[in-house]
Amino acid sequence: MSADEYVIEIEGLLNKVGGTVLHKDLDFRMRREEVVSLVGGSGSGKTQLLRVILGLKRPAAGRVRVFGVSWDDPNPKKVRDARRRMGMLFQNGALYSALSVFDNIAFPLRERGGLDEDEIRAIVHAKLAQVELEPRHGALLPANLSGGMVKRVSLARALALSPELLILDEPTAGLDPDRSERFVHLIKRLRREQRFAVLMVTHDLDTLHELTDRVAVLAEQHIIAFDTLAAVRELDHRFVRSFFGGDRGKRALQDA
Amino acid sequence: MADAAALQVEPVADDAVSVRVLASGRWTFSGLKEHQQELHRHLEGLERRPPGSVAWDLTGVAEMDDAGAVWLAHAVRRAARVEVLPRHRDILKQVSEGMLVPVEPKRFDPLWAVEASGRGAINFAVHLRDATALFGQLVLDLAALARRPAEFPLRELSAGIYRAGVTALPVTMLVGFLVGVVLTYLSALQLKRYGADLLVINIVGVGVVRELGPMLASIIAAGRSGSAITAQLGVMRVTEEVEALSVMGISVTTRLVLPRVLALAIALPLVAFCTDIAALAGAMLVSRFTLGISPGAFIEALPRAVEVVHFWIGIGKSVFFGFAVAFVACHYGLRVLPNTDSLAAGVTRSVVSAITVVIILDAVFAILLRNVG
Ligand SMILES: Nc1ncnc2c1ncn2[C@@H]1O[C@H](COP(=O)(O)OP(=O)(O)O)[C@@H](O)[C@H]1O
Ligand SMILES: [Mg+2]
Repeated sequence: MSADEYVIEIEGLLNKVGGTVLHKDLDFRMRREEVVSLVGGSGSGKTQLLRVILGLKRPAAGRVRVFGVSWDDPNPKKVRDARRRMGMLFQNGALYSALSVFDNIAFPLRERGGLDEDEIRAIVHAKLAQVELEPRHGALLPANLSGGMVKRVSLARALALSPELLILDEPTAGLDPDRSERFVHLIKRLRREQRFAVLMVTHDLDTLHELTDRVAVLAEQHIIAFDTLAAVRELDHRFVRSFFGGDRGKRALQDA
Repeated sequence: MADAAALQVEPVADDAVSVRVLASGRWTFSGLKEHQQELHRHLEGLERRPPGSVAWDLTGVAEMDDAGAVWLAHAVRRAARVEVLPRHRDILKQVSEGMLVPVEPKRFDPLWAVEASGRGAINFAVHLRDATALFGQLVLDLAALARRPAEFPLRELSAGIYRAGVTALPVTMLVGFLVGVVLTYLSALQLKRYGADLLVINIVGVGVVRELGPMLASIIAAGRSGSAITAQLGVMRVTEEVEALSVMGISVTTRLVLPRVLALAIALPLVAFCTDIAALAGAMLVSRFTLGISPGAFIEALPRAVEVVHFWIGIGKSVFFGFAVAFVACHYGLRVLPNTDSLAAGVTRSVVSAITVVIILDAVFAILLRNVG
């Protein structure tokens, strides 16, 4: 189906925060089952762009459609269905602090309806196992989790409704190299099983290599390049040179 | 996109197996929704067949997510044979294992009432202990600051006085004025009958200056400043700002508790004073219209009717009330656990406890000072 070909379509986006223009004439199209990394300098507006895509922020102008649905669509059911087809992993987890790990993951399932409590339990435990947590972790409160566990629980919650699009904001930030590598492999494995599309913001070159089909570079208020990693890193642009040209970048490219 | 989830049953005659069930379509959240009732009935019917008499063929399933997998895993658990596409095997297995995780049994404890009251008593003792420790720490901090007055958190103190005092004036004075109006009106109705009109100044004057002014100011302070203090310290607990202070070697009591407690202890008498004035203004207004006492006569009679010691008792009590409200608020704020429920409960308890403590203190003062004035 042609309407279903793109999970995200953005045309001519104009987005302002607090009076300053953050995105201008920004175009972005992402296909189904594709893994796209969004890179850009700190403060270039990556998180804000995700907020626009998620419908948390209304753009000043331009067209934003997710699964072919605009967030302004007058039909609330269409909007709700589109929302349920995507999952989000927030930068710092955004787990509900008053709910246990189990209830956090069960939350979207219960809201969604149509499943009884036994079925929800089975799914939650399957999700816990998928993100390499044990059933006993279900009773913990978010405050008692380590940083890596918070990420995994949030991932389990984001995946609870079997989304077709998963959005990740700096999924490996704040994790040690070993943990972030395991997290990347986790996503890779889950994607093999469930074939969801991924849009992620990341500064981590290893993550880029491991997962990404295409890289979108956000600079000068719009997407200056959107191509495979190999093509993007040849680009002659100040940000691209410093991002891939630094020692860290060179090392990661050699290892790949 | 493939069709919605569907089941098709066909009889087979070979061995112990009596039927073969073919599942097809999208066994996903959305795919199940379309014929949910019908599928449910269908699956329940199959459940009633003896174990091992049904063979399942899931190779026609186009898509399977957790919702579909949990239904199918449940349905096929007693099947004679199951055929699955390789790509659906993992998810089906994961969900089947998820179903096997035992539920922790919820036992009913016949002694729960005893246990709960014991827990309550211990909880109360812990609160008392922690509050005493906090109080002791405050005293020590004050003593330490007295030796090094340069480190006194003056900026926080003045900000606190402004927040708890100046910004509280409009609402507190409005309430005081209205209470003065109502009280005077009611007293006037009674006193008129005995021709003791001028006594209204004594009754309302003493009542307002000694009791109502400080009380109203404290209760509003508990709702306004107390809740704000608890919420602020509570969020600082949630975001680990309190821990960050300790790690930097900065005393939490000196930096966070002391200025707030002192600020309210200083601000509340001032607020109570303004409340007194507002309430007396209300009294004056009503006296003029119901009893015909002119404002001039009212003001002239006031010092004779209300001894100045009542005023000082009221102001003196306010110092303690202010201290108590802020202290209780800080105590609860620092006990907030890093989650939103605990924050909400902490703020509620802080306000309720602060008002209770103020009323208890007031009763204590009433007994101690019963012979004064
Ligand atoms: N609510 C806000 N009001 C004003 N400016 C904001 C707001 N939120 C973010 N910004 C600014 O927008 C810019 C982009 O922020 P963000 O999208 O978070 O950057 P990043 O690319 O690092 O994720 C930053 O310069 C930030 O200061
Ligand atoms: Mg960001």
